[in-house]
Amino acid sequence: MRMDSYRQSVSRADPGCVIILLDRSDSMKLRWGNTGSTLADGAALAVNNILLDMCIKATAEVNAPVRHYFDVGVFSYGACVLQPGEGVESAFGGPLAGRGLVPLPELAEHPMAVRTEPSIDLMAVSAKMPVWVDPVHGYRTPMCQAIAVAGGHVYDWAAAHPNSFPPIVINITDGMVTDNPYDGASLPEWGKRLTSIETNDGPTLFFNVFLSPSEQDEIMFPSTPAGLPQPGPDLFGLSSDLPQPMIENARVDGYDVQPGARGLAFNVSRSTLLKVLQIGTRVPDRPM
Amino acid sequence: MIRSRTVIYYAPKRGNAEAEWEDGGAASPGAGGGRPRFAVADGATQGFGSARWAQHLVAGFVGAGADAPPGLSPGALFGWLETMQARWYDDSRLAGASAIERLKLEEVGSFATFLGCELTPEPRPRWTAVALGDTVLFHVRDDRLVTQFPALSAADFGYNPDGVSTKPEALREQVGRALTGEGALADGDLLYVATDAFAHWMVEQNLRDPGVLWPTLAGIAHPDTFRRLVADRRGCGDMGNDDVTLLRAQVAVSASVPEPAYLVVCL
Repeated sequence: MRMDSYRQSVSRADPGCVIILLDRSDSMKLRWGNTGSTLADGAALAVNNILLDMCIKATAEVNAPVRHYFDVGVFSYGACVLQPGEGVESAFGGPLAGRGLVPLPELAEHPMAVRTEPSIDLMAVSAKMPVWVDPVHGYRTPMCQAIAVAGGHVYDWAAAHPNSFPPIVINITDGMVTDNPYDGASLPEWGKRLTSIETNDGPTLFFNVFLSPSEQDEIMFPSTPAGLPQPGPDLFGLSSDLPQPMIENARVDGYDVQPGARGLAFNVSRSTLLKVLQIGTRVPDRPM
Repeated sequence: MIRSRTVIYYAPKRGNAEAEWEDGGAASPGAGGGRPRFAVADGATQGFGSARWAQHLVAGFVGAGADAPPGLSPGALFGWLETMQARWYDDSRLAGASAIERLKLEEVGSFATFLGCELTPEPRPRWTAVALGDTVLFHVRDDRLVTQFPALSAADFGYNPDGVSTKPEALREQVGRALTGEGALADGDLLYVATDAFAHWMVEQNLRDPGVLWPTLAGIAHPDTFRRLVADRRGCGDMGNDDVTLLRAQVAVSASVPEPAYLVVCL
């Protein structure tokens, strides 16, 4: 990793880009530990929470629009809603359905609904919150295709924002990839293609989050693939080194991050998922 | 008798509108018992209403009567900031807040670094300042740095968590972390107060080329000159793209030093 990478702050002059790849395969219907809800429910809840978080962070004053600090995309793979069947599509519902990258002010203006949702940390409280993504599950796990679709958006975005903090792509999955190889390239090759797209501030970041339906020990930001159960080693190989801003985010949240740590969270619980998304998307808003 | 001629220069982040500058700067010739005061604050970009909070703090510090702290002791500061917090929430504009805005107001609120300075003539002329965070005062005499307060190194900027928030429950701890400093003043001394991006650059330049830095800053006579300096430094990567503020106070401690002979009007 270049020493001078990942130093750009996020501003309207140089906004950031966050893309979430959301596994909507059939196995996402499984119950998530003892939460009483499915992996798909929990993942959608965490994605809606992180989108709300980003909108809140970009809200600066009363009666002023949310600031354009990020362009955001959520792409699902597995079951599709717009064109039923297996594939990759924008996961946004409502007015943003079918849209790729959406500027944060537009995202804030156009949730598909505002409804009562359970607390992400399983406390016995619910709150009304905007919702952009619904839980969906079905079909297999075309992760390679999802990375290819994300790569297309990342490529265009990086070309249009050469001085910005590099794009951040976070993949949330629970299963084994089923379309490897895809279009002549293997999963690692798709990962390499994605992370070879750069801005002047460094290469695209690719982080991976693996959800496990059963309660197992979480493995956060490992610095070696040794000891990771499948598909941990493959996801480790795909994941970017955690750059300094995210290392600091993780340490603030109490994680002991070792040198060489990768942006991989394995066997995460429902309440940890949002924390991981926050660590992965919190970019300095003041110069470092 | 102690007087100061104060000027405040500022620039918003590159790409932001003028009104989106989220620092605050203010000066008064004689609040708090006839002693000149000035203050600079830097509202956190992540906060809600940060510009209002920063400007509310500096205006309160230099304001007349009950708005201003009676002194810079921790007790005086705490009482004053309690009042500032209560008044910040008592704003009719908040009645029109959207759901997301209200959530941010309640859960995050606002936060600003702050440096307030008071000049006192007795028993001998001096400045006394209180600082929370990385807004910095530089005391310069004859184009040489006498004191920097707080004494932050270049590596310290961006990592200092201190400041003043709008959350009442955090206030006692925050005031407990306030630093105070002072220094003896002589005729012609210059005091600069700068928010972090500009202060960071000043610290680095003072190590690299103080013989150019201080005459350059002393010679700025128009906001456009300041803006050009900031744009140049940002352009070559020496200065981060942050809101910047520079307050410059020229001090006169003896009656024989004449009042400023001219007034600059910037159009």
